[in-house]
Amino acid sequence: MPERFGDILALFMSALAVGYMVYEIERRRRKLHDVWDVLDGEDALLTERLEDMVVSGELQPYTGATLA
Amino acid sequence: MPKAPSGPRSPRRRTARMGAPRQGVASHANGASVRPSDARSEAAAPAPAHATPTAAEENPTLASASQLSPETDEPSAAARFHIFIVDSGWNSAAHRVLVENFALLRNLQKDDPIYVLSREQSIELQRRHGSRIVRDPTIAVHDMDALDRGGTSGFHGFRLHLGLLHTPQQALLGLQAFARFLVTYRHSTDLEADIRANLRREGLMGAIEIIMHHEARELGE
Repeated sequence: MPERFGDILALFMSALAVGYMVYEIERRRRKLHDVWDVLDGEDALLTERLEDMVVSGELQPYTGATLA
Repeated sequence: MPKAPSGPRSPRRRTARMGAPRQGVASHANGASVRPSDARSEAAAPAPAHATPTAAEENPTLASASQLSPETDEPSAAARFHIFIVDSGWNSAAHRVLVENFALLRNLQKDDPIYVLSREQSIELQRRHGSRIVRDPTIAVHDMDALDRGGTSGFHGFRLHLGLLHTPQQALLGLQAFARFLVTYRHSTDLEADIRANLRREGLMGAIEIIMHHEARELGE
């Protein structure tokens, strides 16, 4: 009985470890994509707005050496 | 967020792309004030085309630099990227890192125009796009080749939400990785594939580190 209990516990702990790794990898993947990602259709409105600001002259290339 | 109309943008974009920056005009509402703490950056910076006389008088390095040809400081006519900096000015580590390293970033990206939104413009933009709030400073890079080819409906660039990196070291590493990527892949023929491969590689490295019980990866954490 103790042997069987030990096996079950080991199995349970292994499953927990694997689950944690999967969770952690997914969490980091999501975090990385939050920080750094491609611009696509979801960003279309923002992109259009920024490009329109350039076309209209509202934005000019920054020529300063430093940011305030 | 709703999808925008697909298809290539109007020829206006091409016109804007070819436009040269106006000297003496800064888009940033706060201007480019020169502070003593920026002296190190100023020494390394190229001709600050719109330095005020006062700033030049205060900083001899700046004064001599301003005599250089302004042409060396201009992005080339056929810029591959349009780089936008959106920063509403949160008192964050990422904001400070961006301000302190902007001169270097700009020197590395001389071939592409950098558009810095003023604080008011940044706030207004975020009011319209609420999901971006508290993620700034954000650096958005528009791939003009992709925009000309397929408009805004598909891949058309990439962005870094620097504000999601909470420590100065994380923010600096993120900014450095971003600058390195820009320089490395400026002439890439398939930028999207390069970015996705890079992200996959980062994800894989993170997974390996988790398995190996290493410390948290700086950029992804």
